[in-house]
Amino acid sequence: MKIQSLFNKCVLFIFVFGTCLSCIKDTDFEQAEALTISPVIKVNLVKVLETPDSFLDSTGAEVSFISDQVVLEVFNSDFVVENLTKAELVFGIINSINKEFEIKIDFYDIYETLQHSFTIDIANSPSNIPLFTEYIEVFEGVSLTALKSSNKLDITISLSSSPTGSVLTSDSEGSIHLTSKGVFYLNLP
Amino acid sequence: MKWLLFLGIFTSLHAQNKQLLYGFKEVPQQILINPGAQVDYNGYIGVPLLSHIHFNAGITGFSAFDVFADDGKNFNEKLRDVIYKLDSKDFFGFNQQLDVFSVGFSLKTNLEDRLFISFGMYQESDMFSYFPKDYAVLAYEGNQNNLNRRFDFGQLSVSAEVLSVFHIGVNKKIDSRWTLGVRGKVYSSIAHASSTNNKGSFITIPEANNNLNHIFDLDMKLQTSGISFLEESTKNDPVNVLRKRLLFGGNLGVGVDLGFTYQHTPELTIDASIQDIGFINYSKDVQNYALDGYLEYDGIQSVFPQINSGQTAQDYWDEVKNDFDQLFEIDSTTTSYTKWRPIKLNSSVSYNFGRKTEKECDCLDKSDPTFQNRVGAHLFAIKRPNHLQWALSAFYYRKILKGLQLKTTYTVDAYSFTNIGLGMSASLGALQFYIMADNLLEYQNLAKSQSVSLQLGFNYIFKNNEN
Repeated sequence: MKIQSLFNKCVLFIFVFGTCLSCIKDTDFEQAEALTISPVIKVNLVKVLETPDSFLDSTGAEVSFISDQVVLEVFNSDFVVENLTKAELVFGIINSINKEFEIKIDFYDIYETLQHSFTIDIANSPSNIPLFTEYIEVFEGVSLTALKSSNKLDITISLSSSPTGSVLTSDSEGSIHLTSKGVFYLNLP
Repeated sequence: MKWLLFLGIFTSLHAQNKQLLYGFKEVPQQILINPGAQVDYNGYIGVPLLSHIHFNAGITGFSAFDVFADDGKNFNEKLRDVIYKLDSKDFFGFNQQLDVFSVGFSLKTNLEDRLFISFGMYQESDMFSYFPKDYAVLAYEGNQNNLNRRFDFGQLSVSAEVLSVFHIGVNKKIDSRWTLGVRGKVYSSIAHASSTNNKGSFITIPEANNNLNHIFDLDMKLQTSGISFLEESTKNDPVNVLRKRLLFGGNLGVGVDLGFTYQHTPELTIDASIQDIGFINYSKDVQNYALDGYLEYDGIQSVFPQINSGQTAQDYWDEVKNDFDQLFEIDSTTTSYTKWRPIKLNSSVSYNFGRKTEKECDCLDKSDPTFQNRVGAHLFAIKRPNHLQWALSAFYYRKILKGLQLKTTYTVDAYSFTNIGLGMSASLGALQFYIMADNLLEYQNLAKSQSVSLQLGFNYIFKNNEN
């Protein structure tokens, strides 16, 4: 009987006080204001694979450069402009041609105004062994603003002369292989 | 995004386990869980809109306190810890029920036989979602540190529904041992959305020469019905639309509940029920969305127009852009579909003891001759899209007075191993009130609780001569 009476008192105590005193405490829901999500997206961009023939004109003579242009609206899209905090363009070039190259990347805005530019020097490979060159262009601050203003990308591959380099002919061997990745640091509020 | 986080944590609530109500004889709403429960009153009328208010909330893997504790730690780090602690088997859920009306009465077919008929209508909301961990990790940290990781898009499994249910049940005591019951239901879905049985993935594979190959494989769908009136609220008054759908103007379905009680001895009772063996056919106001495609992307090939006259990298880029547009193109249909209701199982074994007896026989004595105590175990299970969710409870029921009964439970389930609940039924004359709550140990700070359940109601009970 005593146990039952004790049980009765206990459950009534828990019920009444548990219900009356239930609350949410020691919490701060305002912290959610500080929520930021910072994913880093890595994505392939432009790639190039050319042989010596690509640098010869119809008569078999070397051209001074070849170039191409692509419109990438993604750089100046609202999402990128609002959320991109840093970007890196990572280039990997394998050259097995005995010719020195200069790769120039130009960024233009919608008015064809140059916003940003950089060049990558590629050494020649006298014995046609694949030589790897990595180049990273980091966009922060002013250069990031320039990137966000751009919507066109120009790639120009110029032929350079070097003491050990050869003049390209249709019999020249090797290839130049470029891959590029974008590493985009986002901050989503 | 922030309000979504709040919504996720505070309305991501859970199942429909009513371990306190199940077998609580004095509360008429127990026969909605087991149509074959023992009934020892002549009838009842639930107070309209107040006879059963039920709210059940739960989340596995963490509590709001883990994220929102005022402990000076960086909020984003706490959120990140939680995201990495959870896995795709963790889930959120929500269930709410409101009795619109509820009536029961006994029907004597002859002096011995008695049928107990009960009917009514309730509104129910149900939401369930697994935690799509791979989506969260991809959104949280991107793919840079996750090369070669296959992000499983099939982890998205979510369903939500608001419906009304009209029901009528028959309960019959077959003999001194067996009581059987059946309840037929007509469902009227007000609004429904579900995205389950999804497949698909995204993976970034590093290849030779610093190259990356991005592979998208998508096979996903979202089925909805009854949602469009929210968008076209100017055409139709939402209140009128809801009222119409509440009263069987929505997508209709049928179902049945079955239950029994077996009184092996006066002390030992075994009972069980299966609820919601049924389906709803969604044919009105249906909008289905599907995403189906496969794409491998490894960059834009520069072709140099000097070499290939007329062609530029732009052509490649346009092609890639078209491929992506096609990949993420959402197909929309209005094809009808059918969904099974989440089937639920309840079962218990209980032992009665402590019958109140007077030392001297007194024919005018009106004290309660029934057992004053009951202990037992209760099992609950519900079919979820990817698993069977279960809960096991031990309970103790006690009659304090003739008009005051208490029941306490200890429950082990996916949410907690320390869930203690308490229910009370109190009668003042024919008016009865009950209130039941779960997870009382967490009531001192609900933010630490992973599940909360509350149910209460008022009924007018027509007692029989014996009670």
